[in-house]
Amino acid sequence: MNRAIHISPKDLLYSMQFKDGDFADIAIVCGQPQRAMLALEKIENPVKNFSAFGYTFWTGKYNGRPVTVGNGGFYAPDSAVATELLCVGGVNNIIRLGSCGSLKKEIVVGDYVIAEKALRGDGVTKYYVDESYIPTSDIDLNNKLCNLFENTYKGMVWTTDALLKETKEIVNDVINKGAIAVDMITSAFLTIANVYKKKATALLVVSDNLITGELGFSSIKFFDAEKKMIDKSFAIIDELL
Amino acid sequence: MKVLFLQPPMGGWVTWGKHIAINVNHAQLAANLREWYPNIDVHVLDCRALEIDENTMIKILKDIDPNLVYMGDALQTTGVAAIHPRYKRAADLIKSNLPNTKICVGGFFYGANAQNILEETESFDFIIAGETEATMPELAKELSKGDPNISVVKGLTYRDNGSVKMTDYRPLIKNLDELPLPAYDLFPMDKYVGFNYVKKYVETYHSRGCPNGCLFCVGWSNYDKRGKNDWTKYRIRSGKRVVDELEILVKKYGAKFVCIMDEDFNVYRPRVEEFIDEMNKRNLNVPFFFMGRAPYHLRDKDLLKPLREIGFVCGLIGLEAVDEETLKKLHKNVQVDQVAEVVNLFRENNIMSVTTWMVGYPDDDESKIKNRFERIDAIDPDMMALQIMTPLPGIPMYDELKPFIQEWNLEKWDFQHAVINTKHLSREDLGRLAAWANREFYSKPGRIQRILYDKNYHPLCKLIARCYVETADKHAQAAMKNEVFV
Ligand code: B12
Ligand code: SF4
Repeated sequence: MNRAIHISPKDLLYSMQFKDGDFADIAIVCGQPQRAMLALEKIENPVKNFSAFGYTFWTGKYNGRPVTVGNGGFYAPDSAVATELLCVGGVNNIIRLGSCGSLKKEIVVGDYVIAEKALRGDGVTKYYVDESYIPTSDIDLNNKLCNLFENTYKGMVWTTDALLKETKEIVNDVINKGAIAVDMITSAFLTIANVYKKKATALLVVSDNLITGELGFSSIKFFDAEKKMIDKSFAIIDELL
Repeated sequence: MKVLFLQPPMGGWVTWGKHIAINVNHAQLAANLREWYPNIDVHVLDCRALEIDENTMIKILKDIDPNLVYMGDALQTTGVAAIHPRYKRAADLIKSNLPNTKICVGGFFYGANAQNILEETESFDFIIAGETEATMPELAKELSKGDPNISVVKGLTYRDNGSVKMTDYRPLIKNLDELPLPAYDLFPMDKYVGFNYVKKYVETYHSRGCPNGCLFCVGWSNYDKRGKNDWTKYRIRSGKRVVDELEILVKKYGAKFVCIMDEDFNVYRPRVEEFIDEMNKRNLNVPFFFMGRAPYHLRDKDLLKPLREIGFVCGLIGLEAVDEETLKKLHKNVQVDQVAEVVNLFRENNIMSVTTWMVGYPDDDESKIKNRFERIDAIDPDMMALQIMTPLPGIPMYDELKPFIQEWNLEKWDFQHAVINTKHLSREDLGRLAAWANREFYSKPGRIQRILYDKNYHPLCKLIARCYVETADKHAQAAMKNEVFV
């Protein structure tokens, strides 16, 4: 090994002909490309920043204010990479629009969860912070989001890499620790944002409920809530100074 | 003489969601009867629309005490052969309560199989062989006489001293414009619903036959086999006459969505041009759907924009198979690339596209079906309608398919249940692969959202997509389990 680090976030950004100032101060990031396309429709005069490794970001304007949108990862490891690129690229406020499974009976498909903190079941964050670290989101962003949506629950989100090991024992254990929802991204996303001291939060639409067994991945309730999440969350930009 | 057009309590195609449409065959026959034989008293009872159960149906029938009850359907959207068990059940009930009432059926499934079905079905008195439009009113007229002579009514199957007899072949109607417009005023027009949400929904039928004559097509089952390829004798109402009908539907009945159920609306360019002109002249604009063939759409590319302007929001294009050899064998006369091009043209013009395709050809195996799906997936219509081959007696492929029939319960002969196997697949495997294809298609990220949230598609298209999403599970159940919907 010839250097201290094989490839740095800046190396990666610049390898994509990125130049400082390309990203806006605010980024609204989705997991899936098609959700990001819906977000793209919300902004004016978008300019593509780059499209590489399956991630695409554009920067344009919403009500006259610059904003970056794009797809920032499906799983914890790729979300860590994408989030780090945004942080290093100059974004200061990152709002993630994702989805999650509910761990409470009363939080049903189509509701929203705002991740106040995350329980780290992912494998990537141990490379950034020590074991006891609890990633948190920005209170101000959370409150602003909360005002925009009804049926919103704030709380802890458990992030796991092991979709097929959401066993009763494991799930009950994380519920006892205070988790109200599960996903595969939030802990990595918030940890990286925390490390870079950026304001960040995750708004997650509920796609299924692990307690009742309800599966809503392809239900109208879910599609509509997902669309509404994208349509309404941009209003937060007007409220950020 | 009292005649009753009866739609007994029944369901409908599961893919179309809550789907309660007017029976256009009844509406046409009622109009013919009223115009040609004004002395006959015409009644209509649509139990499905009025949500009337069997007991109430019988009560109402006793009040009316009709001399003749007619049941029949001309459109596939009710379920084709799957309606027969419903009509039979209603006929059994009527016979046990009103033994003197005569019962006649006709239309889909019956037209080509009149003799066999009458032999098997004691509670039916008459079955119309071939087109119903002239035969049914003539039968009513004959029955109204003191001493009727049924044998002179052409195109009819009847019983004579216990043995089933067929009268002479009834030639086809030549000019549809000579028929009166359907008697919409007799039907509960405000009760009809399509695709779960679409109120004031109507289905119309302005042509008979299809010039193409695909060998699997259910249309054949309407026609008397003694005719010469009668299904392929395409006859139309003129563009002007179609607009006359739509005008009544919109202005008098407030129709909000018209499903034009002509098997092939765009065969003749001048008719489509006339239709567009008339709609424009009368300032009529109502969202409508029609089925058309890809080669004609390509010939008439320039008409898509004006069609969209007068309300053509959703169109169906048939493909059925994806290899040129099979298409040729089926007499489909369409090329895969043509359908792909039409899907793109529709999208450019903000017309939602539905492509139909089929599984269950005798040579089908898992890889053939999956490859066929890949091709459909790549063509990327907004919606796909997968039909499972159903071997209706009367279609040219019947003899070839008959050995593969595994399920004889006609309740499941609705194109959504697998009723046959193939040389390589069991009936269950065929159903599973149909469910697989539906799931693969609609679970492609963004596909459903494209219709649900696209600003350029008409809002009604979004409702249709919504209906699909809501019925998707049932669809899979129909293909894989035994649930019955019609
Ligand atoms: C349908 C679906 C499911 C279904 C799949 C069932 C089926 N028969 O198809 C099931 C119910 C298994 C499922 C489960 C979960 N899923 Co899911 N699922 C989807 C969805 C909506 C569509 C996938 C699809 O069919 N794509 C089309 C097909 C043709 O593509 P495909 O890639 O071949 O599809 C397969 C995979 O996507 C796989 N799959 C589905 N979900 C998941 C999740 C993971 C982690 C993996 C590895 C695979 C996988 O199953 C699909 C069908 O064979 C996607 C969203 C999307 N648009 O991709 C989310 C999605 C893939 N799921 C996701 C998640 C988070 C989950 C859950 C872990 C939610 C949770 N509880 O946290 C659960 C686990 C459920 C549980 N209780 O343990 C995420 C994964 C990304 C992420 N890290 O967040 C996605 C992207 C949704 C999102 N976040 O917006 N899911
Ligand atoms: S083109 Fe369509 S309606 Fe015409 S014969 Fe073929 S399948 Fe039937």
